[in-house]
Amino acid sequence: MKKLQTKIVLGIFLVLTLAPSVYAQTPATTKDLAAAVAKAPTVADLQKGDPGGALTGSINDVPVSDAKTGLTIGDVAAQVGQNKIGINFTWTLICGFLVMFMQAGFAMVEAGLCRVKNANHTYMMNFTVYACGLFAYWLIGFAIQMGGAAGSGNLGGLQPLNSEHLTTLFGHSWGIFAHAGMMLSGSSYDVGVMVIFLFQMVFMDTALTIVTGACAERWKFLTFCVSSILMGAFTYPLFANWAWGGGWLSQLGSNVGLGKGYCDFAGSGVVHAVGGITALAVALILGPRIGKFNKDGSPNPIAGHDISAILIGCFILAFGWFGFNPGSTLGASGAGCLRIGSIAVNTMLAGCTGTFGAMLYMWIAKGKPDSGMSANGLLAGLVAITAPSGFVNTVSACIIGLIAGVLVCYSVAFFENSTKVDDPVGAISVHGVCGIWGVISVGLFADGKSNYGGSWNGVTGSVTGLLYGDAGQLVAQLVGVATLIGFVFSMSFIINWILEIFVGQRVSTETELEGLDIPEIGALGYPEFVIKPEPAFLLAAD
Amino acid sequence: MAANKQQGKSFALFLVGGTIASAGLLGAALGKVALIVGLVLVALSLLWMFKIKSLEGKVSNGLQPPAMKLAGVATCLFGWLIVLFGLHLSSSVGGRMVFAIVGILVSLIGSLVILPAACNKNAIWKA
Repeated sequence: MKKLQTKIVLGIFLVLTLAPSVYAQTPATTKDLAAAVAKAPTVADLQKGDPGGALTGSINDVPVSDAKTGLTIGDVAAQVGQNKIGINFTWTLICGFLVMFMQAGFAMVEAGLCRVKNANHTYMMNFTVYACGLFAYWLIGFAIQMGGAAGSGNLGGLQPLNSEHLTTLFGHSWGIFAHAGMMLSGSSYDVGVMVIFLFQMVFMDTALTIVTGACAERWKFLTFCVSSILMGAFTYPLFANWAWGGGWLSQLGSNVGLGKGYCDFAGSGVVHAVGGITALAVALILGPRIGKFNKDGSPNPIAGHDISAILIGCFILAFGWFGFNPGSTLGASGAGCLRIGSIAVNTMLAGCTGTFGAMLYMWIAKGKPDSGMSANGLLAGLVAITAPSGFVNTVSACIIGLIAGVLVCYSVAFFENSTKVDDPVGAISVHGVCGIWGVISVGLFADGKSNYGGSWNGVTGSVTGLLYGDAGQLVAQLVGVATLIGFVFSMSFIINWILEIFVGQRVSTETELEGLDIPEIGALGYPEFVIKPEPAFLLAAD
Repeated sequence: MAANKQQGKSFALFLVGGTIASAGLLGAALGKVALIVGLVLVALSLLWMFKIKSLEGKVSNGLQPPAMKLAGVATCLFGWLIVLFGLHLSSSVGGRMVFAIVGILVSLIGSLVILPAACNKNAIWKA
């Protein structure tokens, strides 16, 4: 005990003695740099090897701009700046790679929830949507969305993206769409633009792949390809511009004083609700699968073929979500980026409570902890926390996830029983409904503690929801929800209605009964399996 | 009919047309020509798809009345417009919230009541 006291006294003495000298330090001079260079390990030191790692990486590794002058303060400062951007590039790219891997999760979940006779077709849609979306986004989608998004300090400014088209309405300028960055050519042939392109592209592709789930087992492959390209080129980028690219939704704070404008940290609205709402539009046009509903309108359960694919796919998605949400800081260094830990924890907690919400609901209401619905509960929680993940604390994350888990069960039943929309995987409920819940939850639960460089959407301060004192934020979020349901849904419906007229959305009855694998793709998903004959109600085509 | 070579060719034409049209938006002198050529190719590809559509055979989906579908879409858009104009008709947060909620409800009627009724009006399971 006496030793401890001595140590504490000694520690206080040292702090009191040294602190003034630390604060009194003069700025480093070229002389100091020369001294540091002299102290750095030499080539001869390094030639002996560095098993402890104490010698590798020193002042000698800072590039010198002029060999005659030697290392200057400017050289060191430039290296510090480049290190920051390098860290942020690496972070954003790795998170983008994680999100890209989510495609595998979506493929497994969707195919697992479909019948074995459609497995190849469902996998192939999830596989092809990546190419369709990426190509359309490179051609024009990225430019529409991000062409006016200059100003991200985390990624070096993105200055080539400076083309937002504005329109003046009711005395304010509103961003509508942009055009810089088409085919990533011209001035957008830029290292920072490439990073944001990759990151935004995988987000866009997530939205596209949501639609394939709701339309599985009856969607004509050709129409799916064309529809996905149009969604990646126009529907998704337009809403994403309004929310993330400097468009009018993000200006609701600066123009009309609604909180910090529409806030969607990682895309509950931009990615998931756009995907889910488009899925609803296409599913309505496609109509239900043969045998899904009886003459009195009561639904028949159509079981998926592989529960292991569903649950493993969910874990892949949950893993990828660590790229989705924390990656949306677009960096790990500077401007509040250290919240990445908080964002990651919020993400995993909401997934956890979402699972509990759905599993307990099914267990209590139906008697069994349904595995398919539990899987949807995990995804529902993750979808819901995507928008608020950067703005809320862990308790709120748990509440948001739990509500989403229960909500998804009610929503699946509502779409099946009330609207008679056939959604084989529950994509409309998981992504559409819980995506909208996520958007609203920002307006309720944002705690005003996040600080991403002192402002959000050009409005000073932190995003704060109704429960923490800013009702205006909730209104901004509701305007976003209205745009999703009113505009995005209508646009998706009209585009796919036109495709229905020109191309036809649905496969023939014969193809549907046979299964889409052979007629549409040319090979069975599982050629060596003996497929069990289906019950009579699934064969009643007329 | 299912997937076939004609579908593959028409989709390839669609991709080529879309690429040329996008390149046209970028280009300076020849840009407008490329844009027009690209759009023509896209239109031709859609016409090609339309031509082979009937080969698909009987589809298990009943006729969806276009007027009712249009009414559903119009209701959705109208709800959105209520919210947009509400932002300017009221300057208070409470007033704007009321407009937003009313607009969302109107859009929900369009998307969850009118359109499902239109799309299921002659659904196969009713036959």
